[in-house]
Amino acid sequence: MSDIIASSAPRADRLRPATDEQLRWFDITETDRSRAEALAATADELAEPIIEDFYRHLLSFEGARRHFRDDDQIARVKQGQLRYFRELVAAALDDEYVANRRRIGLIHERAGVTPTLYVGAYAYYLHSLGHMVMDRMQDDPARAVSLLLSLNKIAHFDMALALETYVDTREAAIEQREREMSELPTPVLQLRDGLLLIPVVGTLDSFRARNLTVRVLERIRDLRARAVVLDITGVAAVDSAVASHLIQTMTAARLMGATAVLTGLSAEVAQALVKIGVTSEALHTAGDLQHGIEIAERLMEG
Amino acid sequence: MAGRVAILRQGRVLIASLQEALGDSDILGLQSDILRDVIRHRATGVIVDVSALDVLDSFGTRTLADMAAAVQLRGARLAIVGIQPDVAFSMVLMGLTLTGVATARDLETGLALLTGAGE
Repeated sequence: MSDIIASSAPRADRLRPATDEQLRWFDITETDRSRAEALAATADELAEPIIEDFYRHLLSFEGARRHFRDDDQIARVKQGQLRYFRELVAAALDDEYVANRRRIGLIHERAGVTPTLYVGAYAYYLHSLGHMVMDRMQDDPARAVSLLLSLNKIAHFDMALALETYVDTREAAIEQREREMSELPTPVLQLRDGLLLIPVVGTLDSFRARNLTVRVLERIRDLRARAVVLDITGVAAVDSAVASHLIQTMTAARLMGATAVLTGLSAEVAQALVKIGVTSEALHTAGDLQHGIEIAERLMEG
Repeated sequence: MAGRVAILRQGRVLIASLQEALGDSDILGLQSDILRDVIRHRATGVIVDVSALDVLDSFGTRTLADMAAAVQLRGARLAIVGIQPDVAFSMVLMGLTLTGVATARDLETGLALLTGAGE
């Protein structure tokens, strides 16, 4: 165990404490490791009946049964689970083990194994093993309890790894979605000679707002636009940062000699604009697109 | 009349076309030339064409805004025409929004704006 601690290299991932730190957090000592190992033979022997038992329990649930295509798959998953629980008592708790557990967590996540299902299976295993170990060690129940408590620590460490992976995977998916949203192109449409319409849809972060501004300004120059209607009906959320981005775009359009009209303002957007000190005097606004286009046309004529 | 920027006359409108990025003293020189010519030629409008510039620093922008206010005090209107996308964006980022100064996309539109012809 001391070898393991000494050899655990610092990981590139700074947010995640290194393996030895995690082990310290769960208070898993060399004693716990050797106690768990003392259970190895028993656990090995009992793993199979427990898992058989568990699958009888699991397959009695309609929702769980739908996860499996056929008996072959059930057999394969059973084998995997056997290995999983054997490693729990026998494997060295090193970086490689952690990486492997995280990989399994990822597979679970992709296969749609929910945290409830995962933790439930774990609890079932620990509970069954506990009962059987207590039965076998009736002559020394105190030792049985201490062995099981040590195994409990390792099991919790193990579960934490899997759950972290779940969270990480979900977070990565959300991030990906957000990136896709912010990379959505915003078309700059020419409604008629000199009048541009820009329907903004989705979320507007500073990266996208900057691109939007640059594009609008270029199109104003290229199409010799005199008026621009910026429609934000489809913008998910407008906070004061987004509002100030929109004002910047409109101000820059004015500097280039094009009048900008902002349309599709919801009550929240109006409040956000007031909060950053923008009033309708400094800005042409309209509640809906039709009205906005009418205003723009009037401004172009006048 | 030693300014580096030529001031042209089109009817009662003065036109100053900036061809290169000007130093601080040049732009101050332009300011006094314009203010002098507004009275001398009884001009009603002044157009500053910046379409050839791809940068305009904060001093230049501020001086243009001052120039617009001063021209107004002398009884004429000033319009800045041809601000390029990059210039417009960086001005906005610097918070230089030329509030109250007329802007137009090019010389022609600017002239129409000042002579009241409209489009």
